[in-house]
Amino acid sequence: MAAISSAMAAGQNSDFLGLRLASTSSEARNANRRRLSLQIRASKSSPRLSGRPLRVAVIGGGPAGGAAAETLAKGGVETVLIERKLDNSKPCGGAIPLCMVGEFDLPLDIIDRKVTKMKMISPSNVSVDIGRTLKPHEYIGMVRREVLDAYLRERAAEAGATVVNGLFLKMDSPPAGSGESATTRYKIYYNEYNSKKSATGEKKEMEVDAVVGADGANSRVAKEIGAGDYEYAIAFQERVKIPEAKMEYYKDRAEMYVGDDVSPDFYGWVFPKCDHVAVGTGTVTHKSDIKRFQAATRLRACDKIAGGKIIRVEAHPIPEHPRPRRVLDRVALVGDAAGYVTKCSGEGIYFAAKSGRMCAEAIVEGSAKGTRMIDEGDLRKYLEKFDKAYWPTYKVLDVLQKVFYRSNSAREAFVEMCADDYVQKMTFDSYLYKRVVPGNPLDDLKLAINTIGSLVRSSALRREMAKITA
Amino acid sequence: MASSLSPSLPTIFSTLISKPNHRSQTLQLSFFPKKLPSLFMARSADNGTGGAAASAVVEEKVESMNSPAKIEEVKDTEESLSSNGVAVENAEVLAFKDPRWVGGTWDLTQFSKGGETDWDAVIDAEARRRKWLEDNPEASSTDDPVVFDTSIVPWWAWVKRYHLPEAELLNGRAAMIGFFMAYFVDSLTGVGLVDQMGNFFCKILLLISVGGVMLIRKNEDIEKLKKLIEETTFYDKQWQATWQEDYKSDSKN
Repeated sequence: MAAISSAMAAGQNSDFLGLRLASTSSEARNANRRRLSLQIRASKSSPRLSGRPLRVAVIGGGPAGGAAAETLAKGGVETVLIERKLDNSKPCGGAIPLCMVGEFDLPLDIIDRKVTKMKMISPSNVSVDIGRTLKPHEYIGMVRREVLDAYLRERAAEAGATVVNGLFLKMDSPPAGSGESATTRYKIYYNEYNSKKSATGEKKEMEVDAVVGADGANSRVAKEIGAGDYEYAIAFQERVKIPEAKMEYYKDRAEMYVGDDVSPDFYGWVFPKCDHVAVGTGTVTHKSDIKRFQAATRLRACDKIAGGKIIRVEAHPIPEHPRPRRVLDRVALVGDAAGYVTKCSGEGIYFAAKSGRMCAEAIVEGSAKGTRMIDEGDLRKYLEKFDKAYWPTYKVLDVLQKVFYRSNSAREAFVEMCADDYVQKMTFDSYLYKRVVPGNPLDDLKLAINTIGSLVRSSALRREMAKITA
Repeated sequence: MASSLSPSLPTIFSTLISKPNHRSQTLQLSFFPKKLPSLFMARSADNGTGGAAASAVVEEKVESMNSPAKIEEVKDTEESLSSNGVAVENAEVLAFKDPRWVGGTWDLTQFSKGGETDWDAVIDAEARRRKWLEDNPEASSTDDPVVFDTSIVPWWAWVKRYHLPEAELLNGRAAMIGFFMAYFVDSLTGVGLVDQMGNFFCKILLLISVGGVMLIRKNEDIEKLKKLIEETTFYDKQWQATWQEDYKSDSKN
């Protein structure tokens, strides 16, 4: 107990950044706020669109944008997908759970590697192999983002969406408070990159009925609607090409290093990619020390990546929690733009794609397949559905992060717990299928006792360690 | 200066002296890639001194700390980005070495005291190993993996060493509080101990004092508990934010 209370190492910022809403949004807030009272049958009461289908712009062509555009197009909505860099290789761990392959009908050839073994390494180098409980058909898929993103966009295009290579600049929202706001369209301004005409792109504008912001952690759409800020982690990664013999070790194995030297509130990783490994780490609270953490990660893995050549260095922000506002009138945020990244594992690809799809489904339903105008209530249904489906997963991972990433002693206990078969089974079940399934109560009780035991033992050792320097 | 301290110095002096050294150890960590050999020597000597004063097993610790100190320097390198880890590979690395640490775990046969394993010594040894690794992180190796699990130390060894002293302390506090509160209430109200126990208000007071003794053990615990409670619901609040502002602005209308 002393360990838990004494460690506030993660330093949760008591300054609740999220609720500091941007002042520009105060006008927009007043518009149409009666929805709590009239609710539900929004599609029946909203005006029918005459002569044209609903037009939706999806800003950003990553997993979230691609999934949203495909579902919208299939639902009969006129969809425009605006992506600024069609060959973008976004810095990313690249791990997708098994359920994503099934739910999104991903072809197996976009998966570079099937990871079936994971090694967790504690601060004192106690190493535990997890993956014993995986069935032969279960794996964690490692993908290249450029391949996955391009595939999803292609499917969206095949379904009828128009893919535009352009950069979203800003948008004009319908004036708030006026009676017309229910039907006035949004005007989006973007730079279209057409290599034939000019290098910088030509300015274009378009009128749309709704906007889906899928443009990632630094979302411009989020800024436009005053969605507020979130705390974010910096993930720093180096792609290292290692000799064939060493690559054999990483053929289907990923490694996770925990420790204060590697990251004070996250973990360092070595993930295998198509023909190289990605060595990286991340942090929320000590961003300026990221290079030091990276050096420490390289040191911890040094025997296994020695002789490797760094072929690329990349970094990217990772949201830690959703933005305070995810929906405003007929604009919704999905994916990283909304902040749907789990704690503890930092997983975001699946949730991005799923939220894109859910948002699109809500739009299709709310507009009765593109025949009626939608309103904010329809988009809130998507929020409800997403929150309800995945809140347990997010909360459990948050609790795990709070308990096990606080200090080196907690991390030692964490790695010790991972050696247990039941823990491995539960972890993989919840990761691969995104279900938080309560297991056998007796086993759960045993697990709880073992967890407490591990934590107590490592905090006792921590006290001994403190005595040594004192 | 640190290396000239003899192990027989009283604890308090070595505490005062090794504290600034400990801070300089942390500074050294932040310049990790550019370590110089002299800093290494100073650091390992510090460990020896600090440890010697505190732990009972003096000689052995100084020995095991000093033997790695004889292994030299990590080559002073600039970050050679093109050859990952080669610099470290070429030099002989300061590694954790202890005669009882065999094959990635503690060899329990070397810990026997009078025919039985001396679990306290195992706990001490593991604490020292972890401390060493915290200050000098090592590469993990697949040929020589660490497989030690703290659960091999039986539960009663942990209870005897950590739980019992704390339990004694807390029970003592509870007993003192109980005695004086009982006396105090009796002197004020004339209600004896047995009758106090039958009274609902007194039972609540009893619950509060027991809870207080359990949860608040140091002065800092009060703040920590408050922060903990806020922390448990922080994430939920962040997720609910998108719904909150809707209710807030609705009530404004």
